[in-house]
Parts: sequence; structure tokens; C-alpha cells
Amino acid sequence: MITVVSGLPRSGTSLLMQMLHAGGHPILCDDQRLPDPDNPRGYFELEKVRSLERDATWMADAEGKAIKVVSFLLGRLPPGHEYRVIFMQRDLGEVLASQARMLERRGQPAGLEPALMRAHFERHLESVTKWMSGEPQIRVYSCEYAAVLRDPEATALAIAEFLETPLDIKQMVSAVDPTLYRQRV
Amino acid sequence: MFEPKVKIDRGLYATLQRAAKIADYSSVDEFIIHILEKAAAEIEQAQSEQEIRKRLQGLGYLE
Repeated sequence: MITVVSGLPRSGTSLLMQMLHAGGHPILCDDQRLPDPDNPRGYFELEKVRSLERDATWMADAEGKAIKVVSFLLGRLPPGHEYRVIFMQRDLGEVLASQARMLERRGQPAGLEPALMRAHFERHLESVTKWMSGEPQIRVYSCEYAAVLRDPEATALAIAEFLETPLDIKQMVSAVDPTLYRQRV
Repeated sequence: MFEPKVKIDRGLYATLQRAAKIADYSSVDEFIIHILEKAAAEIEQAQSEQEIRKRLQGLGYLE
């Protein structure tokens, strides 16, 4: 079984990875993407995931571990594995505001105006949710970012139950830093 | 209420009538509406994918 933490960029996927790591869940990541002002506690990403569209042969290395896969790439998860997906949900206004800050910091163009980008993300989320529900090898736990911050213990317990794995709940809770919740709507 | 109408030539209409019958639609109107909805959704989906891909590349999540 492979644990997949997914969602839109800036939906709280790094926070969830930090919680899993703190709770003792093995993580598959590298240090290619270092902590920065957008994610001061680190991204917990694996560089190979960025090229998942052309190479998924390494997926067996993720067995028994947790990896972060942006929602856009979920459809590229190769068959032959059982996936437990923790899918982060965050207010789209907050996601867009946070992405805008990150694009600016990275010196990237702002791109489409937020209303148009929101429509694209809404369509994407609808499509990926529908797709996941029809995939027998995928089980999904929908995780509200705001709920993680409001009650991290309840989230940690729910995740441990979903993954059917003993996790250190206290440590998971301590990984949540509400001061990093910066793009509230 | 305003009901938009689209003109198509008779030959195409006849083709659509035949196809609607083969595909077991209750009317040619129902068939045309369904295929137009499907085509529009596919185009919108493709556009969304393209825009999201650009956004993810900008954020460093795609190569």
C-alpha cells in the first residue's frame, strides 16, 4: 500500500506530510526542494514525481511509504499498487492567494486572473474526484485544511484510522503550526 | 424565453437523424444536445488542463 498526499498546490499537502513524518509514517522524499518562505518547514517532495507523466517505474519504491503527488498527476499513478489518498481540501480563494504569492516569489508570471483560474481548478477538482471514485485501487480520505488547524488531534486520529496504521498522534499534533496559516479568506 | 436556434444543412440533419436512431436516442434534438454538451465539456476540460499545467510549471510542481 502506498500513502499518497494530494490536492492542489498550496492546499496543505506539505503540512500533512509533516504530520505523517512526525507521526512516524515512512516518507519517500528527497532534499531537492529546500524549505523557503512559502514552506518554511519543507516541502517533503520527491523530484521524480514532477516527471511522473513520463516515468512511473520507481513507484514500487514508495510501497509502505507516503509520497506527495499533486492532484493533476493522480491519473498517472501506475496500476499494480493499492493507494490510500489523503486529499487536501482548502478554500479556493486561499489557495489562489497563496499560489499568487508563491509565483511572485519565484519570479513567475501571475497568469490568469483568479476568477478564471478558479473555474479551471473547480473543473479539475470535480473531474479528479469523479475519477478517483471509480478506481478500485484507490481509497480516498478528504481532509479539510481548516479542520486540520482547528482540531489537529481529530485529524491525526482520523488519518491513522484511514491508513490503518499506528501513528504517534501527539507528535502529529505538534507538527501543526497555526501561525503558518497565512492566506485566510 | 429566448431559445437559440442553430442552422445546419439538410444532409447533416439526415445523418444526425440516422445516428440518433442507431444510438437509440428518443429524438434527434436529444442526440444533438448530448453530443454538443460532450464536445464543449471536452474542449473546456482540455483548456483547463492546459492552464493548470502552466500554473503547476510556474509553481515548480511539473517539469
